[in-house]
Amino acid sequence: MNSAAAVATDTGAITVRGVSKWFGSGDGALQVLDNISLTIPSQSVVAIIGSSGCGKSTLLNIISGLVTPERGDVILNGVPAREFSDWRSISYMFQEDRLLPWRTALRNVEFSLEAGSMLRSERETRAREALKLVGLESFADAFPYQLSGGMRSRVALARSLVQEPCILLMDEPFSRLDALTRAQMHEELLRIQQLKKMTIVFVTHDVEEAVVLADNVVVMAPRPGRIREQVAITLPRPRDATEPVTAQQAHHLKSLI
Amino acid sequence: MPEVLESRIHAPTAARGLRYGVVLQRLGLVAFIVIVWWLLALRVPHYVLPGPARVWEALTLISDSGTLWQDLGITLGRVATGFVLATLIGLPLGIIFGASRRLGEFFEPIIPVMNTVSSAIWATFAIIWFGVSNATTVFVVFMTAMPLIITNVWQGTRTVNADFIELAHVLRMPAWKVMWKIYLPTILPYFFSGARLAFGFGWRVSLVAETLGSSSGVGYRLRQAADLIQTDQVFAWTLTLVVMMAILEMGILRPLENYLFRWKKEAEQ
Repeated sequence: MNSAAAVATDTGAITVRGVSKWFGSGDGALQVLDNISLTIPSQSVVAIIGSSGCGKSTLLNIISGLVTPERGDVILNGVPAREFSDWRSISYMFQEDRLLPWRTALRNVEFSLEAGSMLRSERETRAREALKLVGLESFADAFPYQLSGGMRSRVALARSLVQEPCILLMDEPFSRLDALTRAQMHEELLRIQQLKKMTIVFVTHDVEEAVVLADNVVVMAPRPGRIREQVAITLPRPRDATEPVTAQQAHHLKSLI
Repeated sequence: MPEVLESRIHAPTAARGLRYGVVLQRLGLVAFIVIVWWLLALRVPHYVLPGPARVWEALTLISDSGTLWQDLGITLGRVATGFVLATLIGLPLGIIFGASRRLGEFFEPIIPVMNTVSSAIWATFAIIWFGVSNATTVFVVFMTAMPLIITNVWQGTRTVNADFIELAHVLRMPAWKVMWKIYLPTILPYFFSGARLAFGFGWRVSLVAETLGSSSGVGYRLRQAADLIQTDQVFAWTLTLVVMMAILEMGILRPLENYLFRWKKEAEQ
């Protein structure tokens, strides 16, 4: 961390050290996370799975800086979260697409760039590139209601990618899509991840999705949320959810939850 | 499938044939009303119900003497002033009451009370306070329009989607940008329907105010004509008002609304 080279290699890496989180205060406080430690190497894809109420979304929100833990630290790109300022290099993709209905696809993608003071022309150029990346350049002027569920999801993905993040956090991003569209989105996501060299951390309740996408799967246990096991997925890519080896791996993960 | 969707996106939204049909229907309705009016007028004295031809004559008379345009302008000016003031005060108040639960709960009972006070009462007060002047009519329009705008904007702030706020929060968007980019577009349709209602009400109460406390404007002319039993002139003024409202509605408000809210599904409109 003391040399520029060390910082550069840390870009996209996430370290979670001894994180505990309570909701509420006093005697009625509910512990949702208990002493979570996790190392996520740069450019890897990590899935967080577990039964509902195990705090997996809270963990993601802590990494994103939306929620601060009572104990422990998060280190992003080699910088402690408290001193971290480059939040625009971290993108968050929600479960719902959250497209603003009064904006066209293009203007929705631009929304990610509007927090700062970027020029409108520059925003538009970058938003068009992001739409092209997800294959929707010809739908730039369409309003959300005119798009299918899969297309809306792609626009949301483009909105997450337009800031050129080094870390992409996703909270069950494709859970509302049908199986076929979801498989297409998986392919798309991995292609873009290779291209843009991003670190991806995502929460899912779908073990097949975890197996198809992730290099590493973090299995969490509930009440209070803690890490039960970390499983490395070494299956060759591209992975197909219908193949026996993939199904077997998924079955193994299911037994751990 | 994408090609089909694309052609639908670039297709014009309203079918042209349908629009001509509607125009034809409207013209038919106007013709029907004029004929019924004419037939009725044949059987009653002209000071009770003047026929279309007589009203037309009265219309050309007041239009030639110049008071028609002048009085319409005066009334429209008063309505617009009261309406703009109501917007300037009602819009921010609506947003504040919506954003702060405590303030909203505290002031909530005032709105229905203000809505139930008759415009004749506001007009009476206005005459006591402002005498026979422009301010009387402006005040009445203001007092009628403001609660309507507050109520609608307030309702609009309740529909602001918390998910969108969270999205802006994740992007570390400053608060004023959240107001501008999320609150305002959400409230706009509500504000618009409130403003429309307020404008319509303002128009009606302005006439009441003018008959009571004014020496110019359409309301004053209406009373004057009625006092002199110039029924044809009363009809002529009424007709002008109806035409003016129709022009405002179809020529300005509706196209503006269609453009601003083009992002809504056709089914909703």
